[in-house]
Amino acid sequence: MAKFVTIGERLSTTAPAVNKAFLERDPEPILKRAKQQLDAGAVYLDVNIGPAEGYGPDLMKWAVQLLQGEFDNVPLALDTANMAAIEAGISVYNRAKGKPIVNSADAGSRIEYLDLAAANDAICIALCNAEGIAKDNDERMGYCQTLLERGLEHGMEAEDIWFDPLFLVVKGMQDKQMDILECIKMFSDMGLNSTGGLSNNSNGMPKHIRPIMDSALVAMAMMQGLTSAIVNPNDLRLMETIKSCDVFKGNTLYADSYLEI
Amino acid sequence: MPFTAKSGKFNASINTVTVGTGDKAIKIGGENVLPLYSFDAAIENAPKVGIEITDFGMENEPECVKKYYEGCTTVADMVKKAATFEGVDFISFRMEGGDPNGANKSTEELVAMLKEVAEATDLPLVVCGSKNVEKDSELLVKAAEAVQGKNALILAAKEENYKAVGAAAGLAYNQVVGAESSVDINLAKQLNVLMTQLGVNAGSVVMNVGTAAAGYGYEYVASTMQRIKAAALSQNDAQLQMPIITPVASEVWGTKEATQAEADTPEWGDQEKRGIDMEVETAAADLACGSNAVILKHPVSVATISKLIKELV
Repeated sequence: MAKFVTIGERLSTTAPAVNKAFLERDPEPILKRAKQQLDAGAVYLDVNIGPAEGYGPDLMKWAVQLLQGEFDNVPLALDTANMAAIEAGISVYNRAKGKPIVNSADAGSRIEYLDLAAANDAICIALCNAEGIAKDNDERMGYCQTLLERGLEHGMEAEDIWFDPLFLVVKGMQDKQMDILECIKMFSDMGLNSTGGLSNNSNGMPKHIRPIMDSALVAMAMMQGLTSAIVNPNDLRLMETIKSCDVFKGNTLYADSYLEI
Repeated sequence: MPFTAKSGKFNASINTVTVGTGDKAIKIGGENVLPLYSFDAAIENAPKVGIEITDFGMENEPECVKKYYEGCTTVADMVKKAATFEGVDFISFRMEGGDPNGANKSTEELVAMLKEVAEATDLPLVVCGSKNVEKDSELLVKAAEAVQGKNALILAAKEENYKAVGAAAGLAYNQVVGAESSVDINLAKQLNVLMTQLGVNAGSVVMNVGTAAAGYGYEYVASTMQRIKAAALSQNDAQLQMPIITPVASEVWGTKEATQAEADTPEWGDQEKRGIDMEVETAAADLACGSNAVILKHPVSVATISKLIKELV
């Protein structure tokens, strides 16, 4: 089995400092956050430029070239509602360290993101959701089937579609948590890759609680077969948990210094 | 449906490490396929074969080996002679006399002899210690200094002395560092981590992951090597992508198959042939399990293994 793939989530317009840096094309805060995430062990970096209407393509090109130029062609997840911006980003993307990830398609209005990924030989995150929140795993797996068939029809390899069960917040949807974990097991039983915004689960919790909840969930999800997650790699407890789970799963060979590499 | 053969080559590869300098320098590693799987992809550098000479010169050699060095009076003579044998890619000089529980030769004496060896040949040099970790942390440091500029492989740093030996060989004197563990896959990885954390370039590290003669607990050696190669290639584990060198001679020529006289066990047949068989069988198994280089003693074993490699790679 391959090592768990961590996608660093900290380059996002939801952070005011990042948003400002993107708008002003100011490299310094972006490179700083990218370096922090890579030093902490992130494999991919998510580049979320927001809706970015109009200026999206230019901005995404700039961001891809900036990050890959500075960090030895670091692989990136291109995250925006602007499809033209994703295509523009891929047009200047270097694949030496891994295919670009399109973030993301769903089974509703965003299904064409899969077509875009297929046309550009990219990986695509496929959210098993349409409008509203899926009521149960029958509905989620229906979306999974729809997305899988759509991708395959367009010539994608199944391994390049990373299925996202849509992690839900514990505060308010505690009763749905085991459904999500079971859904991951179903993906895994089908031999599919999976990912998702795992830290959604701890939204609204006190700051000191979140790493504990995220770590517990990632361990349970990896047991179920989760192959990747979009996370904050600067959460030390979480990263240590992931590395430890990789050892238990045989994804990496244990050495006493395993937490340092 | 027509059968389409799928190549078993990996996206990861073993590091290429150069030992020695000039025309005779050798490269080991570099492959992106399982050991000897040249049908999956070209193997960049064929495995290499070295011949072992010790600081005891002719003194402790089996009779069947001595005859090949007839007329040699010094260790340097033996080195010159060994370089003429068919299939010899490198010289391995083992300073076994340094062991405090054995002859306990001084570091100065051994290093002086090492210098003679180094001057006697332009073949790449592997420098092996006394197997005593305390003695080696001094002996191998001085040895690394003595052969500066030779790009020799210093065999080896262990868990107990990796800082002294690794820093001297890998940092101060720019040699290739051997990292030795004993059929312990986790320690093999850990030593590589420690060595790189020390600042040694990963491209200058070669592993000795353990050795045994065929029939003497060999299956542990085999599975260790196989698991290391599998993790290095299929999991792209950079801390296991160092090539492997395996000393064979020092194990094989002490077994009863090699030492027992024909007069005592006539049913076993010719003693020399037994020793060579043990050495060839062990070396062939090492290569099949993932060794990128082997160290042998008998010139017939060297020629045989060298031919085997040429046929397969």
